[in-house]
Amino acid sequence: MIGKRGKLLVVLYVVFLAVLFLMCSTDLIIREPEKEIYQVAVIIEEARDDNYGNFRKGMDQAAMEFNADVRFITLYEKLNAEEQMELIDREQQDGADALIVAPADGEQVMNALTKNQVTIPFVLLGAGEAGESVTKNIMVDYKQMGELLAQKMIEDMPENCPVLALADSQMHSIRSRLFLEGAFEAFGNSKSSFQIVETAGEQEIRIFMEGLENWTGGQVAILAESPEILAEAAELLADSPTLSKRIWGLYGRGSTIPILNYLDRGLVKGICVTDEFSIGYLSVSMAVEAAEKGAEKKVVAIDSVYIDKESLRDPVYEKLLFPIE
Amino acid sequence: MKVSGKKILLLAGLCICLAGCTGTQRETQRTSIRIGISLYRGDDTFINNLRSVVEEKAKEYERENHIKVTLDIQDAKGSQNTQNNQVERFISLGCDVLCINPVDRMDASVIIDQAMTAGVPVVFFNRQPVEEDMNRWDQLYYIGVDAKETAVLQGQMVVDLYKKHPEKVDLNGDGVVSYVLLEGESSHQDSLIRTEWSIQTLKNGGVPIEKITGGIANWERSQASALMEQWLSAYPGTIELVVSNNDDMALGAIDALDRERITNVNVIGIDGTTPGLEALESGKLLGTVSANKELYASAVIELAASCAMGKEPSEEYPLTDGVYFWTPQEILIGESEQLNKEFQ
Repeated sequence: MIGKRGKLLVVLYVVFLAVLFLMCSTDLIIREPEKEIYQVAVIIEEARDDNYGNFRKGMDQAAMEFNADVRFITLYEKLNAEEQMELIDREQQDGADALIVAPADGEQVMNALTKNQVTIPFVLLGAGEAGESVTKNIMVDYKQMGELLAQKMIEDMPENCPVLALADSQMHSIRSRLFLEGAFEAFGNSKSSFQIVETAGEQEIRIFMEGLENWTGGQVAILAESPEILAEAAELLADSPTLSKRIWGLYGRGSTIPILNYLDRGLVKGICVTDEFSIGYLSVSMAVEAAEKGAEKKVVAIDSVYIDKESLRDPVYEKLLFPIE
Repeated sequence: MKVSGKKILLLAGLCICLAGCTGTQRETQRTSIRIGISLYRGDDTFINNLRSVVEEKAKEYERENHIKVTLDIQDAKGSQNTQNNQVERFISLGCDVLCINPVDRMDASVIIDQAMTAGVPVVFFNRQPVEEDMNRWDQLYYIGVDAKETAVLQGQMVVDLYKKHPEKVDLNGDGVVSYVLLEGESSHQDSLIRTEWSIQTLKNGGVPIEKITGGIANWERSQASALMEQWLSAYPGTIELVVSNNDDMALGAIDALDRERITNVNVIGIDGTTPGLEALESGKLLGTVSANKELYASAVIELAASCAMGKEPSEEYPLTDGVYFWTPQEILIGESEQLNKEFQ
């Protein structure tokens, strides 16, 4: 039999345990600081995310570290600026804390920012210098990228080797325009001729490449304006031994897995790339910072690098092309 | 106890109000849904192809129904632990429904537990959890292909060719078709069934077959290529047919054949992946069996959306036993009209 004192001790013990439980497992007594989750919307200019593989890895990494809930949004139609503006409005209305935008049309986005249509922190993934209204800008200078690639081609190629630049006649993104401008300027100072060939889609690239098979002049070098055109041209080159005799070298920009495979197989001679993982990571960290502390002006410029088959296995470039998450 | 008329009237009024409130709640239309998708391995060609189509279908759904669809797509990189963590994150981010391509189909119970606790429905796809797990809750679904049907179709394409042109299958004309077999993961339900029924169909169809050897290449092109290279040196000039459980491994075998400059061995695959169709067009792959990926992806999105909105699954995608949707499949060989369509 337990006495009165024993019963009291048991009750006290139970109460003590209950208090301990409340302290440990609930925030009634000890309140843990609440972690705010920031809603960040990323709106790109493409309809697919094929060229954003490493960007997304960086973005996911930052989302975990900075406690952000990131929504990655592609357009229904590539480079459709109106649709992108609608999505910017939609995401603002849906409560996004910050926006990261790779603009389909830089001017429209700048106008919206100038007119204060965007009221939440905004990170621009720009292709060149942005105006005063942009406070957070991660800039890749595509003009400088075009110059760099052209200079490397001039170093590689025999003198007077004509260069044909394959461009998409239907999709004029600001990135592609600046990239070609840079290449055009660099080739202007060389002995090689530089001509832009406009194609509309895979079928026309195929027709152009088939035309080259019957080309009786000397060899030509090809510069592809976009990652899609580069991959398509490399695929056609892989299927045609005749074509590889006509083409001195195929060059371009982009670091998708098919492009890297073609570079490794020697079908693509050289590519210009940027550190997409860092861009993804930085954009989310800047967006969260802006949501937390307000939008202080910050511009980050990301350099481009040239990679050929030999430097593909360089540890520095391996980290850049195949980032570990 | 005496109840006055006023009180009865008051009670009746209250009941009507409550009923009205419930009705209003039911009629409230959702304007956005969030779907968490976890892939067993993002670098699997078939899964990667399917993922692209799923993204397109989500956009189509968004446009047609004016409902914002947010997709959170994660790659589990072959780790069940990673996938479990991804599911936890999806739930904490407020996903309305989960679409899971399980890493280990025998170990889906953790995912199901998490989903059941949070009340979030799950649509599994491509890798079928065991029946016991699927029976645990009425908010679990599976979308995939019927592995037996796939295998029968794969065997049938060789049977048909053998009946029309036996010399194109029995290459050395000795009356026996010597084959090697490339198998997928041993833990995947489709691997065993594809192997068994593909070979059975060849036998039933009257093709005189003899197995030289076989091996597990885990669905991977590089592993299949290494195995095929070994077999080509161990059994020179004897292999007439390569039966592969998927296109990636078939392409691995083709890589090894290309390296040895051998062109007359028939290779058959399954999946109808983009690289597989390219090999088919170039004549390196004899044939493949393809699930209708458009329908497959539509079923994933439509079923997920129905679950998220709390609606009954659409009759357009009839569910076997109220749980399983089997995607139709077809044979693709070089001259097939479907192949031309895919390449347009």
